[in-house]
Amino acid sequence: MAPLKVGAFYNPHLGAELAVATGIDHLAMADPPAPSDPHWPALKQRYTLLLHDYLGQLSEPLDERAIARARALAAQYDTPWVAEHFQCLHTEDGTYNLNYVFPPLYTEEFLTRFVANATALQGRLDQPLVMENIPGFFDVRGGASRMPEPVWLRRFFEATGVGFLLDLPHVWLEAHYRGVAPEAWLAEFPLDRVVEIHVAGVEADRDLEGPWIAPTEPDDAMLDFMAHAVVRCPGAKAVTFDAFSPSLTADVLLSSVSRIRAAL
Amino acid sequence: MSDRAVQDQVIRALADAPYRASAAWRDRGLADAARVERFARFLARHFYHERVVHFFRYSGALARVTDRRPEAVLRAPQFDALLSTAVLGSRETARAVAALVVAHVAGGAVGTIPYLADLQRYEETMMVVEAGPRVWRDTGKGDGGRGKGTSPELVQGTVLLELDYDLPAVLATLLQPWATPPEAPRRPAKLLVARSRHGRVTVARADEAVASIVRLTDGVRTLEDLARAVRLPPAELEAALSGLTEIGAVRFSTGS
Repeated sequence: MAPLKVGAFYNPHLGAELAVATGIDHLAMADPPAPSDPHWPALKQRYTLLLHDYLGQLSEPLDERAIARARALAAQYDTPWVAEHFQCLHTEDGTYNLNYVFPPLYTEEFLTRFVANATALQGRLDQPLVMENIPGFFDVRGGASRMPEPVWLRRFFEATGVGFLLDLPHVWLEAHYRGVAPEAWLAEFPLDRVVEIHVAGVEADRDLEGPWIAPTEPDDAMLDFMAHAVVRCPGAKAVTFDAFSPSLTADVLLSSVSRIRAAL
Repeated sequence: MSDRAVQDQVIRALADAPYRASAAWRDRGLADAARVERFARFLARHFYHERVVHFFRYSGALARVTDRRPEAVLRAPQFDALLSTAVLGSRETARAVAALVVAHVAGGAVGTIPYLADLQRYEETMMVVEAGPRVWRDTGKGDGGRGKGTSPELVQGTVLLELDYDLPAVLATLLQPWATPPEAPRRPAKLLVARSRHGRVTVARADEAVASIVRLTDGVRTLEDLARAVRLPPAELEAALSGLTEIGAVRFSTGS
């Protein structure tokens, strides 16, 4: 297995620090750079860039406008793969929108939808597609053909050949709220499909009355979990510190990347 | 009911507090009510944090003078009180949240910033105009075209702002480093704030002709009526309407 690349997310407010940082192999791009970003040319030249924007929700087919945007961003970044999420966050008619990643029901109907729409998107891209798991905070009792998320994901990857972007804090949070050991829950997932791994910090959230992803350093337990996961993901190529927020500091970003690298 | 329809009900329950409290939702027993409520509150705070930080970024830049960060209001009891009626993305909730922010910032040390009231009206308008349902996906059924009607109408939510200070002259400077708050020229400015079908908010300076078109475009007056009323040659009126349609301020009916 080739050495894993270690990277972070592009945070526009940290452009000056990222432009001279060492020890970072790649930047994931959740948003395009502003035309006025003075550091963008240096960042583009310095880093491998991973397209990680919101392209659309694959419970529905992407329209031509979204596909054209995805292709344009992929070309702009010269990305080795294109990432999207297993999410369904707005209603079909567009009336309600959560503006936050939210998983679909893990049913046959949604599997059919995601397989068809991801296959169609993959067919329009010049780069491989990878899909990221999304944490659920509660279970939904609807849907006659419900199946466990890891089973649903395995069937999706087998049907599409798409790669898996494994978000480890998402797995850790689900395990926490299910009351199971993270390692045991992780073992259920199709780790042989993993291309990229996300690592992040978690903090207590007042509304959730429990932990959730936060723009903070991953603690030792999360880094141990990462080390546990990495050896079980033979196809993984990259680990990314998953934090993009105006409140993220350069110290936290650089220290997190350094600690991730040391823990691998 | 399809699984997609069930998913839509869950999304609506998370976004729409009155629906979440209704028998129509609760009687279905689709999910643990306490967990749904906690997640809905988390989502609401996240939803409006993003918008307040973005739309009130100029007030944010002035916080070292006012000592009031706009997003601080999202941790205040007044915002918590809104959560039981909030509908994420609705104009009503956007208006209510923006009003909380305006009151919070206005309660700070604002004496040295004469244009702050105009600035807050501008920011509040941006946030409210951005709200409302949007088209997430074009269906390919011609829903993005100009339509066949001959009587243009103003798109609901479009706002013509008339300000005492020329804010566009100072906005970019506010986001740059400064020692004392940059000044805005005291001269009237008209700004048109509109949103496209896909949710993109545009602000454009409006001259007197554009302002008149916006005031008179009512879905009843024909192009000929408008041309006479605003005293523009038909070609210039067409060009102006084309621009206004592009940014989502005006539309033509799609009926036959």
